[in-house]
Amino acid sequence: MIYNDRLGEVMDLNALIKIIEKVGKIEIENIVIDAEELIINIPSSPPITIPQTPALKETLAEEGLIKIKEVPELDWEPPIEKYKGYIREVQFGKPKSEGGRGKVVKIGGQRALYRFEDPQPNPPVVTFDIFDIPMPGLPKPIRQYFQDVMEDPCEWARKCVKDFGADMITIHHISTDPKIKDKSPKEAAKLMEDLLQAVDVPFVIGGSGNPQKDPLVLEACAEVAEGDRCLLASANLELDYKKVVDAAMKYDHNVLAWSIMDPNMARDLNRKLIEAGLDPNRIVMDPTTCALGYGIEFSINAMTRLRLSGLKGDEVVNMPMSSGTTNANGAREAWMVNKEWGPREYRLPLWEITTGITMMLCGVDLFMMLNPIAVKTLKEIGKTLTTKPGEVKLNTNNYEWITCP
Amino acid sequence: MPKKISAMDIYKLLPKTNCKKCGYPSCMAFATKLLEKEATVDQCPILNTPKFEKNKKKIIEMISPPVKEVWFGNSEKRAVMGGDEVMYRYQLSFFNPTPIGIDISDNLSEEEIKNKAKEIENFVFERTGEKLRLDFIVIRNASKDAEKFKKAIEIVEKETKMPICLASLDPNIIKEGLKVVKSKPMIYAATKETLNDFIRVIKELKKEKDVVLVLSSNNVKELKNMSAKCLANGIEDLVLEPHTYPENIAETLDLNVMIRRSAIEREDKYLGFPILNLPINAYYYALKHECPMSGFFDDKDVVAKMFEATIADALLNRYADALIMHGTDIWELMPVLTLRQCIYTDPRKPQAVEPGLYPIGNPDENSPVILTTNFSLTFYTVTGDFEKDNVRCWLLVMDTGGKAVDVSVAGGQYNGENAKRLIEETGIAEKVNHRVIILPALAASTRGDIEDKTGWTCIVGTRDSSQVGDFLRKNWDKILNEWREKNRS
Repeated sequence: MIYNDRLGEVMDLNALIKIIEKVGKIEIENIVIDAEELIINIPSSPPITIPQTPALKETLAEEGLIKIKEVPELDWEPPIEKYKGYIREVQFGKPKSEGGRGKVVKIGGQRALYRFEDPQPNPPVVTFDIFDIPMPGLPKPIRQYFQDVMEDPCEWARKCVKDFGADMITIHHISTDPKIKDKSPKEAAKLMEDLLQAVDVPFVIGGSGNPQKDPLVLEACAEVAEGDRCLLASANLELDYKKVVDAAMKYDHNVLAWSIMDPNMARDLNRKLIEAGLDPNRIVMDPTTCALGYGIEFSINAMTRLRLSGLKGDEVVNMPMSSGTTNANGAREAWMVNKEWGPREYRLPLWEITTGITMMLCGVDLFMMLNPIAVKTLKEIGKTLTTKPGEVKLNTNNYEWITCP
Repeated sequence: MPKKISAMDIYKLLPKTNCKKCGYPSCMAFATKLLEKEATVDQCPILNTPKFEKNKKKIIEMISPPVKEVWFGNSEKRAVMGGDEVMYRYQLSFFNPTPIGIDISDNLSEEEIKNKAKEIENFVFERTGEKLRLDFIVIRNASKDAEKFKKAIEIVEKETKMPICLASLDPNIIKEGLKVVKSKPMIYAATKETLNDFIRVIKELKKEKDVVLVLSSNNVKELKNMSAKCLANGIEDLVLEPHTYPENIAETLDLNVMIRRSAIEREDKYLGFPILNLPINAYYYALKHECPMSGFFDDKDVVAKMFEATIADALLNRYADALIMHGTDIWELMPVLTLRQCIYTDPRKPQAVEPGLYPIGNPDENSPVILTTNFSLTFYTVTGDFEKDNVRCWLLVMDTGGKAVDVSVAGGQYNGENAKRLIEETGIAEKVNHRVIILPALAASTRGDIEDKTGWTCIVGTRDSSQVGDFLRKNWDKILNEWREKNRS
């Protein structure tokens, strides 16, 4: 608000500027500045000649009684946080020069929470789930992509890499389960050898979920994949994790540390694995992914807390994280045929995408997924986290929707 | 983090008469409830007297969240945004689930506007016993014609009780709209260039307290200065809209985080307002450009809706306090509404129902006993399926701390000890003449433990509760007879 003593009127800043334009210079004395508003007191003496031009009168008349209060410009600093800690970087695969099969994938390595603080050094990585036996239980909208290769895991892996650009492959040795086919660890290892020949991307090696059998299967597969920096999935407190740790250290692999939605459990497990001899730089944490609508909020909390602890400097939990995003396909809203809910070929990928994106924004680095649509979506959005603000040219006109036909 | 306020800090400002007129036994109890947002200052009659005016103001200031709670709508329905105090939901729940608005073009015919408005108002997706709905209607001035705009507003207000957002960048058009709208609308949007004109329009119509003004800019500093100017001019219900860029959504997520962090962690009151995002931009973007789902579906509209839902989900995860969307297909909105429901649950309260015995469909002494968990989603899904399929049974609901079957099996809450306690507490043994429990297939691994601890025979049932009716029709008589045979000898 500007009070003009001479005219006995309240003026706004625009009017003042207009006056300055006319007279070129105004000397101001006895300035009073109030915290809420700026009051410039223009004293009547010494007199200033202000030509009363019609233009000025018009402007004042136009504005009538409506005066807009101007405020001095305020400053703002981007709220960038400095973190004491960092997230460890874990490597999968090895270059040929070091005796590997070629493809190398890295995850983790963050030094900040958000991209405006420091873009992620590595994009989130997706690993395609494949199974050593046909999976008739897979929902049809997913099965349609793999129907022709489900009898042959090597073909299945090739298809994931060739057709869908898989960064990595997760093989689940389901048939080793005593209740399914009770295949021996040796047979699993043979398949592992074939898979390593079939594609050059790194592997996640999974068992059947049987706690007695899995350590034996993982050990046998780890041996034939020696030096390939696979991820052994998984070590947890319900099985002989020491065997898994030994295999990882002996044959140069990483270990997936699986805990249940509890940051303290994740910490305890990591500590035990490290005590058993595992290099902490070889751990990827899996705090369990609950599907969207089936407890995803528990996963959000656990993952957020683990990532924050890691960045704050807790070196027992500053490992990158993995998510079994495939779990989303188990939600009945995703797979169930239900007219009221619309086509499931639309619902199914969206359920996996939503579960994955939510985990990604909580800090997850590695995604085990099934649906090619969901994989592509997650990868593309994941890449944006590695770009610097302003680096990508944006074409969106933010207001176009208002007048769209 | 801002400094912590204690109940004692509030108590000091209360009358300390313990008159109980607020509904609580003492002023200290009232202070605690105020702090937990379970009571409001208006409940204390003494605080409302002139003598306590200062104290009341102080208390309101103390308990006001760093992100202002802003609403628009009418006496029957309101869209409430913001009110949050924390950056992460595990610290304290997020309040006010993100209202979702759907657009209606003023170029549509009267009939089309009516139908669309009704469709938006009647939309419902039910889960865990809660009806999930859409929250407001965005009338967009696609015609650029003030008369059409006014007409559309009148039709929508006559047809529905939905809160309204008026969308036009032209202050003169908004001015015409404000003359006819009956409720408190949200105005989309003032930009840096038009802010003065919008303020003038609102002041002229003396609507400073009766509108919510959206400030739009992709520059946070600019948003801050725009908000400071509005506050100085008496417009206090503000919403901030950093631009939504579907082709690189990280840009928008960054802006959201910077705004929210400035408000909560840096206590910048000029940025302490709800954030509006525009997934609708993703919808229109996908119609014209490539997006990740292109190539998987021939129908461009399907691709656009999938992309819109994806962007909405990303934004819900990072501080979107209101969303404007285009699609109203249930398959598109299901994941968005489900995610919203999950993010805005109170982490201090598990999503649980009362454990115990629930008779379903008038069961008798020969009816099966089925064991499930007290996770509310599991419970409502199971009882819904059973009702649909005319299942008669005794449903035992075990206290798994509100965890689903697979999660509680893995976490160890679904176990023999718990089952035994439940059987004893409910007295189910006196209601049936058998000792057979049917377990969900996901809990198959707990069978031995439950049989050992309870002495009941466990049968592993189906994976999904929708298959239970069929399973029982085919197997229950046989299961029961076999059990009787075995236990006779």
